[in-house]
Amino acid sequence: MTTEAPAGGQNGAASPRPDGEPRGTDPATMMAVAMARLLRSGETVFHGVASPLPMVAALLARRLHAPDLIYLTIAGGVGARPERLPVSTVDPALLHGARALVTLTDLFDLSARGRLDVAFLSGVQIDGEGRLNLSVIGDPVRPKVRLPGGAGSAALMPTARRVILWRTKHDSRVFVERLDFVTAAGNVDRVVTPLCVFARRSGRLVVESVHPGVTAEALRSATGFPIAVESGTPTTPAPTAAELAALDAIDPGRIRESEFG
Amino acid sequence: MQDKRTTLAEAIAAIPDGARLALGGNTLHRGPSAAVHELVRQVKRGLEVVKTAGAYDVDLLCGTGCAASVAAGFVGFETAFGMAPSYRRAVEGGAVEAKEHACYTVIAGLRAAVQGVPFMPVAGLGGSDLPAVRGFRRLADPYGAGEVVVVPPLVPDMAILHVQEADAEGNARIVGSRFEDVLMAQAARRVIVTAERVVDGACFEAAPETVAVPAFLVAAVVEAPRGAWPCGCAGCYDYDAEYLAAYVAASRDDESFRRFVAEHVLGLAGTPRPAPGNGAVAAVGAPRR
Repeated sequence: MTTEAPAGGQNGAASPRPDGEPRGTDPATMMAVAMARLLRSGETVFHGVASPLPMVAALLARRLHAPDLIYLTIAGGVGARPERLPVSTVDPALLHGARALVTLTDLFDLSARGRLDVAFLSGVQIDGEGRLNLSVIGDPVRPKVRLPGGAGSAALMPTARRVILWRTKHDSRVFVERLDFVTAAGNVDRVVTPLCVFARRSGRLVVESVHPGVTAEALRSATGFPIAVESGTPTTPAPTAAELAALDAIDPGRIRESEFG
Repeated sequence: MQDKRTTLAEAIAAIPDGARLALGGNTLHRGPSAAVHELVRQVKRGLEVVKTAGAYDVDLLCGTGCAASVAAGFVGFETAFGMAPSYRRAVEGGAVEAKEHACYTVIAGLRAAVQGVPFMPVAGLGGSDLPAVRGFRRLADPYGAGEVVVVPPLVPDMAILHVQEADAEGNARIVGSRFEDVLMAQAARRVIVTAERVVDGACFEAAPETVAVPAFLVAAVVEAPRGAWPCGCAGCYDYDAEYLAAYVAASRDDESFRRFVAEHVLGLAGTPRPAPGNGAVAAVGAPRR
């Protein structure tokens, strides 16, 4: 249960900015909103280290359409209601308002026995099957680039019921035909980027919706594996007034932008 | 009651080169940084560092030549400060071996050690290249169909944990997130606890369930106020963003890293410093001329 008040504002089209761009179509806001819309009330939802956008998305979903979402983090707080959003997503700020505390071991075990509904994960490289690389560029033993490592992904991706990938950069070096190393593979449901939302169907990523203002050509050239963008491919709905109001309340400091270096 | 209080210098002096060290905390939070600084001052070599998700501790031990290998799921400074520069450089240059784990396989290895069994099955890992590069075997399920990945025990020679409160005997109380600290304490051969405050153990009797690690597992207790700094320590202080940003910036090349370590790690005012003995501290710390 959440004790947060329902967000004010009306559902409907966002009011335009003076410059004519609809308010809230900046990449961080679009991504936070698109990720939040994928979450459902009652689900157990987990994110790990270095995950500001999933943090904002989970809190946004809980405030809007998923009041009984169970928010889980490495800090271990169950259903935390942070007073301020930290940039580090392991921060003790994510214990505030929690009424129970678990460990990271408990959370991996939860996923291992099939009870984790959603895990948010990311990759430095992501391929057309939704597999990811967070380990190395080049040779695994003597890499050209040693990346941070996959953290929980190799264990969570095959065991969480739904995995939502997010990545704040969408270009052909991120979305690649071939990974240098497969750190993790598994139950990818959606991939959210600054340009689009992919869904995984029959083992392949397909474009589910394209964000406002993104052309089919721009999306194709930014993606290293072949994708189909038909004339009928829907546009990701711009954030509603209610979504924007809730975001302003949850994330007034725009921590969601911290992943956009 | 045995009084296990000692100085940081003495506690760390008991760690031999080549030891496998489990470090408590997670990324920017409650890492045993004062102890790590002391490892650097004592010029330890050949260490294997075990952690699920490390940052400053792992990176500093790689940059100063103390670590030979890192068994971890993640090494990085999260979104605020980015990649771990010295870890990255040391692995790319071949000075440090990255034994990449999933965080869950670090936990599973520690659990095998805790439970005294020869290996631990782990769910997941399907489709990942990690089991092959780590040499994790697959076993047929003896009771049913299918296979499971099994990981060997991960037995740290020493676990170093920084906690908010401990008593002189070693009972250690952790406020907030415990991360893998309890598993590490149970899996390790020996445990060093550094604590913000050493308190009278009688005060734990009212709520012994808040003590995360019982004294009989602990070999040494060191009072180390601000001992997690520059990491944060829940209920005491936040991580030091200014210092961490300066550390990452200084890590852009060997020369500026060496200067930074000399000033901020080797020269920390008010910290007990051992005599270098073999002169190697100067070699690590002094700027090249």
